[in-house]
Order: sequence, then structure tokens, then C-alpha cells
Amino acid sequence: MAKGEKQIDSKEDQMVVFQLTEQTYGIDIDAVFEIIRMEAITRVPRTPHFVEGVINLRGKIIPVIDLCKRFNLPLAERTSSSRIIIVDVGGNTIGMIVDGVSEVLRVPLDSIEPPPPMIHGIDAAYLRGIAILDGRLVILLNLDKVLYEHEQSELQRFGVETA
Amino acid sequence: MFSDEEISVFLDELEEKIQVLNENILVLEREGGSQEALQEIFRAAHTIKGSSAVMGYDKMASLTHEIENLFDQMRKGLLPVSGPLVDTLFMALDTLQILRDEIIGKDVSVDIEQVVTSLKQFQGIGSPPSPGEAPESGRGPSKQPAGAIDDGIGEVEEDVIREAELKGLQAYWVTVQLDAGCQMKSVRAFLVFETLQQMGEVIKSQPPAEDIQEGNFETGFRVILLTGEDPDRVRNLLMTVSEVAKTEVNRIKLAAGQEVREQAASDASAEKTEQAARADHEVKTVQTVRVDVQKLDTLMNLVGELVIDRTRLNRFAEIFEGRFGSGSGDMVETMNEISSHLGQVAGDLQEQIMKARMLPVAQVFNRFPRMVRDLAQKLNKEVDFIVEGHETELDRNVIEVIGDPLIHLIRNALDHGVEGPEERVRLGKPRNGVLKLKASYMENHIIITIQDDGKGMDPVKLRAKAVEKGLINGEVAQRMSDQEALNLIFLPGFSTVAKVSDLSGRGVGMDIVRSHIEQINGITDVSSVPGVGTTFTIKLPLTLAIIRALMVELGNEQFAFPLTNVVETISVKAEEIKRVKHNEVILVRGRVLPLVRLSDIFERETCAEMDRLFVVVLGIGEKKVGVIVDKLLGELEIVIKSLGDYLGKVPCLSGATILGDGQVALIVDVRSLVKEIGVEEAVYAAS
Repeated sequence: MAKGEKQIDSKEDQMVVFQLTEQTYGIDIDAVFEIIRMEAITRVPRTPHFVEGVINLRGKIIPVIDLCKRFNLPLAERTSSSRIIIVDVGGNTIGMIVDGVSEVLRVPLDSIEPPPPMIHGIDAAYLRGIAILDGRLVILLNLDKVLYEHEQSELQRFGVETA
Repeated sequence: MFSDEEISVFLDELEEKIQVLNENILVLEREGGSQEALQEIFRAAHTIKGSSAVMGYDKMASLTHEIENLFDQMRKGLLPVSGPLVDTLFMALDTLQILRDEIIGKDVSVDIEQVVTSLKQFQGIGSPPSPGEAPESGRGPSKQPAGAIDDGIGEVEEDVIREAELKGLQAYWVTVQLDAGCQMKSVRAFLVFETLQQMGEVIKSQPPAEDIQEGNFETGFRVILLTGEDPDRVRNLLMTVSEVAKTEVNRIKLAAGQEVREQAASDASAEKTEQAARADHEVKTVQTVRVDVQKLDTLMNLVGELVIDRTRLNRFAEIFEGRFGSGSGDMVETMNEISSHLGQVAGDLQEQIMKARMLPVAQVFNRFPRMVRDLAQKLNKEVDFIVEGHETELDRNVIEVIGDPLIHLIRNALDHGVEGPEERVRLGKPRNGVLKLKASYMENHIIITIQDDGKGMDPVKLRAKAVEKGLINGEVAQRMSDQEALNLIFLPGFSTVAKVSDLSGRGVGMDIVRSHIEQINGITDVSSVPGVGTTFTIKLPLTLAIIRALMVELGNEQFAFPLTNVVETISVKAEEIKRVKHNEVILVRGRVLPLVRLSDIFERETCAEMDRLFVVVLGIGEKKVGVIVDKLLGELEIVIKSLGDYLGKVPCLSGATILGDGQVALIVDVRSLVKEIGVEEAVYAAS
């Protein structure tokens, strides 16, 4: 596995760290395409509840999901620090709304702990692990699972219902 | 082995050459032994033979070799063009096509033996009983003792000469006659060879070079010389060799398959045509530059970005002016200038890229003449097939889709439209039917018409047929206008011919044709006059990537309805809306129009109930539905973009588009919308 090899080589992963309802999360920097400011999102009817809509990213139509809604977390108000993280996962470019992006952290692999079964209302299935860095708890997300696991079934369910 | 790239170039070339062969054999059939057509054919066959041999496709090489031989004889006038000959040639071409399919991995296998045998039979007719007699049969009286000459140019020499001609050299038969009393023939001959080799290349001599060098010849010999020199100069130089009594320099013109004595005037013109032919050839090569469509799409997106940045630049200029006031006058002006120029360039760029995606409709049309010929023959009908507007360009996606519907319409026209020759004569029509296929531009559309002068369609019969088939009831049939009756042929399961032939009339035809065309936002129309003929008109958008759309507003969002599906827009008073069970309807010109609210379909809040409502009337085929929207915004040209794989197929939406200000508007999928409402209707009807 390519990822495994890389971890052995570098002994640490670079993580983009962001805030979601006052918690700190991290995702692998390799998946991140870019980070943009909030912009007007065109809602798309008859899609799963966590799909916010679509945006125009330099001529491409990109779906945007709200991570809070995804994890059924209390919704935070959009502020000037809200961002859309554009990720490239599973061949699709997808935007994720977060409350703010703080930094890029180097996370030594040996500091990553397996996730507890449930943390801050998020099922462990979506997590890669947790890491304590500078006294902060960073929840590392498994994007493949976050974006595809439930979504796919829910997206499909929507398709079936209306077909 | 050869790379994929090389093979694909070879296949492209092959396809092109097969098309050339097809076209020119049709010309031969029509006009008899046209030299020009024969020339083209010969060249194409020769190219295929050469390249397939190089690529190692032996079957193809040997087949084309036989074809080439046959054409060689036709070219020399040894073999007249005849019906069976043309049939055999077409058969050979079909075999060639199958061989091509074999290369691209289609699971077909073909035996070329049979075709080769029949090709050889014809060669048997053409080839002379004995070599000596051949020249007389095919030559004009003015020819010099040419029997020997003809034998002199074998296939190998021909190839070499052709190659030389491409390099701008000419081939000549140089005949040298030495003095009768010459003592040192071999020496003189050697000198002659030396002289010739200074000017060019000797590729053949008669008698063979060894014999000449040893003096084993009468008093004369002749050689084939390839040179760029003037023939007169060649002659003069040779005359400087002592004891040379006479020289003759005759240009070899392979083009005509015969050699012609040097004649300034005729030669000049011949050279011109050759050059022209070569120029033609070159143009074709340029056309085969291939670009991945994906790349063009990417380019298109980049241009879109450019346009959006330009809008941002504009806005920034305004802010800039606001902040720094008039003191910055010049700078703002310059910035606006740059911005507008940028916009212009981006616009042009977009147009050019759109054009690059277009292909001439000839891509599809070219295979029809052959098809019409074969069909007409099968049906014993005589038809003049006229094609116009080859060069009309269409988006490649559209081109891919229109092929099948057109084939169906042409088959129908031949099978059901055009009468047999006897019947036509009896009806006082010209013996030959006329089938016309035409493509042309009209505003932002392409119009393709297929017109025959056959028996036409009788609305009365169509009505009766539809009632008989249970597609409509008698009362409806009586109310129908003639035009509506004609449109009955587009109903699924409608076929006017009782006898099912293998060509058309399976009863799945016209509705499939229409739905294919609708798929690409096209419209199919028919007009027909009994006894005079039928015309099918297909109206297609220039491209699938850009459509004209009616923009509407719901809440504060914009939606786009493709204009091809919009029948009309009307404004109605709230009290005009009637309720039938759960459904809202209105009466439009005496007809009930089911209504649906866009806000319900898309689960949106709408502006408060108003007195006047705007209704967009949508039509798919015969089905009409009214959609209530908040506001009509007008028409706009929009670029269709997919919503992407992540969202997949969203019900009632076919994609999205980016508006001038960078905002995204959703495009309504009218087809699925109407279908959805149709389901509800059915439920209501059943209850």
C-alpha cells in the first residue's frame, strides 16, 4: 500500500487541521486540493440533507457538503473564518464546509492513537485515530469513509426513492 | 511490433482510403471508366496494399493486390466497367472493411479466398490471351511499337517511378540508337550510361545492363531514367557521345498507365493536374490531426475561468476607482481597457474551441451513397441520390447520434417512399426516383432534410391505421388535422406497411428515430403530399455543450429550462386554476393543461401567492405540462455542465450552468420532470 510505505519513510504525516463546533480535526494533506473562503452555494434539491449544494470552482461544478450536518453536530453559524476545504477523494472533487482552518501540522505516526468507539458524537468508523499535539486533542478523519460510506447509501436511497 | 499510435494512424488512413474507394467506384458505376476516378482508386488501393504489407496484414495486402491489378487493367482500358464488376469490387471493399474490423479486435473472421477468386476471374477477362497481343487492343493508333515498352515497366519499376515523381523527378524512356557501323558498342553504351547517371538514375534497361556492357545488343537499347533535368538537355547531352546516331526521350506517365511522347503543352497540363491531385492529398493529411476531446473540454473550462476573472477584474476596477477617486482616472481607464480586451479574447477563444469540437457532417453522410445504391439494387428501384451540405459542421456528440436515425429515414424513403421504375413510368413520373439528403445552417441550428419524390403518405390512411391498431380512437382521429395525422407515424407501434420487410417496417422505427433526435435536443418534423413525396426535417442544435435556455426564478434562485422543450409561456390569474382531485389544471385554448409548481418539485419556498402566476408550458412529444414559476427572466445561452459523479443523477435535473456573474444555476431535466408528473397523472386516472 502506497500510504503504508510513505508512513514508514516519513515517520510522520502532514495534516490540515480545522475547527468544527469547537473541536479540532485533521485530515491528510494529500487529499486537500485547496482551501477557499465561503461563497454563495447553489442548493441542489432532492439530495441528501448534508449536501449543501454546488459551487463554481473556476468553471467546474463542485458539490459541497456540510461536515456538521454530516456528523449530526450542532450547526455553527457561518463566520468570516468559515472555509470550504476542497478535497480530492475517490476520483471526485468535493468541498467540505468547516468553521475554520488553523494550520498544517506534522503528526508523528507514533503519536496517533486508535479512536475510542465514539467521540464527540462521531462514530469511530469515520475516524483514523486521535492525536495529542501540544496538549490539544486532534481528531483524525478517514475521508474515504466520511465522504463515501453513509453518503453513498443515502445518495442511492434518494435515487431509488425517486426513480 | 508496431505501436498503438502507428496502428491507429494506419487504421485512420485505411478508413479514409476505403471511403475513397467506395466513392470512386460509385463514380465509375455512374459515369463509366472515368480516368480521374480510376486514378484515385488506383492510388488508394496501392497505398493500402503498401501499408498493410508493411504492417504485416497479409490477407489485406493480397486482397488489395488483386484489387489493384484489376484497376490497373481498367485503367489501361483492357477491362470495361460492368455491373457485375462493380458488385465484385464492392464485395471486395466490404471484405476489406471486415479485415479492418478484425484488426481493431472485433470478433469476426473472414475468408478472402472467394473474393480473390472472383477478382481473378475478372482479371482473366481483362488480361490478354498472350502477352504479345495486349498492346494493340488497348492502344491508340499513334503509338509507336509499344508492345515491348509496356512489358518493360514492371511493378517494381512502377513503384520506384511513383516514388520519384513524389520527389519531383520525372521518368523517361531513353532510347539510344548507335551508328550501324559502330565498332565499340559496349564502350559507347558505357559512355551513354555514364552521361545518364550524371543527370539522374537509371533504374532499368533493355536489354539488361550486363548484356549492354558486353555489347550483346543490336544497334540500340533503351533505359528508364529518373531525372529532374529537361528532356531536351538529356537528348543533347547524349548526342555529344560519339557514334550515337539517334536518341529519343519519352516521358513515362504512369498516371495514365501509358507513356506519352514528350509534348510540351499536354505535359504541362498533366503536371498541373498531378500537382493538384497531390495538393488535394496534402489537404486531407492536414485534416487528420487528432485531438482528445477531453483536452478540448479542459481548454473550455480554462476559458470559463478566464471570463470569470475578467468579471472580477471589472469589479475590482470599480472598487479601485471608488477608493482612489478621480486622481486615478488614467489607471482605471487602462484597467477597464485591459479587462474588456481580455473579455474579447476569451470570447474568441471560446468560439474557436467550440469550433474545434465540430466535425463536418460528411463523416456520416459519406457512407450513405453506397448504402442507397445497395438498397436500391435490392429493392429493384432506380434512385438518384443527391447529397448537399457535406461541409456543414456539427458537434461530434451530435454526429455520433444522428447516424442511426438517418439510416432509418433513408431506408424508409427507399422502401416505402420511392416507387419502382415501372410504376413511376405508369404514374407519369420520371423513371428514376430522387432522394435528396441535405444539411444546412439556420440560425443556431442545423437543418437536415431527407426528401423523396415517392408516393407520399395519405393522412386518411394514417388515421384509419392508427384506429385499427388501437393507438387512438375514432373520434380523436376525426378531430385530427392532416398534420397531426402525419405525426401519428411517430407513435410507438405504428407501421404503415402490412408486409414486414427486412429493410424497414418493423414498426419500431419512427418513434425510435424521434426519441434519438430528442435525446440531442433535436426536433423531427414530417410533411408529405400523397403522390408527390415526403420530406423529413430534423432540426438539431449546433452543439450539445451549449443550449439556449429559458431562465426562471424561484425564490431567489435561478433555474434553466432548455428552450427546445419550452412550448410557450403564459401568465394566468390565480382563480383560473382549477382543481381536479389533487391536481391543478388550467384550460388553455380549450384544452386541459396539467399544472405543477416548481416549488413543489424542488421542495422550495416560493414567494407568497400572487394574483398572477407565470406558467412555462413544456412539451415532450405530444405530452404537455405547465410549470408554475415565480418569475420569467428571459432567454440565455448556457454551457451545460454535469453535477458530477458524487451527486450522481439528481431527479429532475440534467446539470448546472455557470452564469455571467459566476453563480451556478440548475438546469431542469424536462424529460424526467414530465415523466414524474405523468406517473401522478396515471395514479389519478386509475383512481
